[in-house]
Amino acid sequence: MNLRLIIGMVAAKLAMYLSKLSGRGRGSSLPGMVALRICPDLLKHYQGQPRKGVIMTTGTNGKTTTSNMLADILEQDGYRVVTNREGANLITGVATAFIKASTLTARLNCDYAVLEVDEAAFPVVTRWIKPSRVMVTNFFRDQLDRYGELDTTVGKVLDALNKLPGEVKLILNADDPLVARLARETGKVTIYYGVRPDADFSNTAAFSREAKFCPFCGSALVYNIYIYGQLGDFKCPQCGFARMRPDIEAVDVISDEAGTKATIYDNSSSGRSVWSLYIPVQGIYNIYNGLAAFTTALSLGILPEKAVLCLTTYTPATGRMESFRYGNKQVTLTLVKNPTGFNQALTVLLAQKGRQDIMIAINDNDADGRDISWLWDVDFEVLAQYPEQFNRFICSGQRAEEMALRLKYAGVPTILLATEKDYRRAINAALQGEGVAVGMMATYTALWPVEKILGQKAERVSYHANRMSSVS
Amino acid sequence: MLTVCHLYPDLLNLYGDRGNVLAFMRRCSWRGLPVQVREVNLGGAVEFAEYDFLFIGGGSDREQALMAEDLKNRVDALRMAVDNGLVVLAICGGYQLLGRYYRTSQGREIPGLGLLDFYTEAGDKRLIGNVVLEAELAGKKTKLVGFENHGGKTFINGHKPLGSVLYGHGNNGQDGREGARYKNVFCSYLHGPLLPRNPILTDYLITLALERKGYPSKLNALDDELENIANQAMVDRLLG
Repeated sequence: MNLRLIIGMVAAKLAMYLSKLSGRGRGSSLPGMVALRICPDLLKHYQGQPRKGVIMTTGTNGKTTTSNMLADILEQDGYRVVTNREGANLITGVATAFIKASTLTARLNCDYAVLEVDEAAFPVVTRWIKPSRVMVTNFFRDQLDRYGELDTTVGKVLDALNKLPGEVKLILNADDPLVARLARETGKVTIYYGVRPDADFSNTAAFSREAKFCPFCGSALVYNIYIYGQLGDFKCPQCGFARMRPDIEAVDVISDEAGTKATIYDNSSSGRSVWSLYIPVQGIYNIYNGLAAFTTALSLGILPEKAVLCLTTYTPATGRMESFRYGNKQVTLTLVKNPTGFNQALTVLLAQKGRQDIMIAINDNDADGRDISWLWDVDFEVLAQYPEQFNRFICSGQRAEEMALRLKYAGVPTILLATEKDYRRAINAALQGEGVAVGMMATYTALWPVEKILGQKAERVSYHANRMSSVS
Repeated sequence: MLTVCHLYPDLLNLYGDRGNVLAFMRRCSWRGLPVQVREVNLGGAVEFAEYDFLFIGGGSDREQALMAEDLKNRVDALRMAVDNGLVVLAICGGYQLLGRYYRTSQGREIPGLGLLDFYTEAGDKRLIGNVVLEAELAGKKTKLVGFENHGGKTFINGHKPLGSVLYGHGNNGQDGREGARYKNVFCSYLHGPLLPRNPILTDYLITLALERKGYPSKLNALDDELENIANQAMVDRLLG
């Protein structure tokens, strides 16, 4: 009997109980933090316990959504799943998910563990817990003061993947050269997913593209089509590194206020299979998240029809294009944390019909990234091209003034700009504006308070199975 | 017409530094001063003599090595332009590159362009955080704000610093100085980006560029309420 383990578990369960009792915090990292301090090798005790395996998701954007989608699919298929749903994706969050689901002797009774793991924490977590599948979403620049430069992040994930046992399978985004390279560099069995680069993707947000150079030979990559960021139909003219034809591929992607639709082809099977996929959240990036979850589910033997059906009722986690209703207005809340994600959120705003009030809350705590200069790599200039679409921009959070400054230099008329550091007043101003819809964006530590206040004032829109996707 | 050279925007696009070029451009256009920007990428033709303002940012290690290689072939032309009063803003990696060398933690010296007489050595920990400086621009004391994130420690020998550190680490965390100045060259570790957050510095650079061309250099005042509030908010937060 391991005394440290038991004491750690008791302390963690107590912390869990107390944080629930006080109503403060969501308790998604604290118990793990407590337990790990007492029993640093806690995670070792969970290795091998999930009966059918551990599936991890890492990458810059889309981890929470992708991981939650897969967990939903597996749970609806009747499996018992341990998962860290709230985006607490450091070692403490992973430990908390296990502690919540286990006995005081760290015994689990589950089929799968579906874990979202922060890129920087991936090497540490995989030291203890060996995944059977790893999904990698994409790599974008993110919080330089915390992660360092992008090359470093990709390198850390690569090293960790190389240390995993040979039988692990990778589920990789074929369209992101920084992700696709992992197949060649690790030599692991890989299943690719991607979006067919059709000509109707015209992407202007080019300022902060990563991966201009081939990771293998250093030549400049050439693109036929960009989908977003550095995702697209890439090719190295020098050494031939190029986008692979994905095993699971989406075509005819349409994203509007109701959600995102696409047709999915299974290119790997002999008889060509086709499904139509509908996800009730906006943004092309959500098709990528859905594709990754779908591809992984298929590789685990889930019937594709069931996976597709489950995704039609997907309910986003906090701030992942969450929808609310205030009177007649649609209100969306989006977490923003890096240039590419923010650019995607802007694309969604511009696709909205009717004038909108916008509220942007920027904080600079550790979890947000203390350096907010990345806001200058976001293409706010596109907003200034369509001033008639916006009623007002209300900037909030600790760095409200700097957000307003960024919009001013982007060319947004100053008459449309307001700063209000208090969340409640900022939210009220946006909800009561003259626009017909409201878009809210917040960095990580601003998201929870904004979501809480919004939840009191507006009605949460949830999706149910009344929107069935047709199965062909 | 003022012409701005944005050096290697494809390569050095970290930390929002393109905001510096944007601020210079906007603050000219808001005053009706004609201004244009040319982006120069690796191997592209560049006549430094044709420019009024040159901006060099920072990148990741690999990209910075590419930039250093490319600039070495152009160093004579650049030196001549600098001696003729070209207004230059060099940030972070761009700053380090203008010095004599960067000494790695293994003791290897990577030569810089040697335009300014300073050197940089690898530190044992990165210097990261918000910064407030006191700088003297056109005889007036002013507070500059920004965010630093650098592993190298720079020692500027006889050069004037951009400012003295009121909060943060500065060039090396030891001597209380931040950045370097030489003729019309301004070097700094501060991201933020520096120019949008410090309109007084931006206007000073515009003034220098106009003077060098022999144009009237008295700038019209702009409505800087937002800029001043943002700048003051950071000063208050850090200095209390």
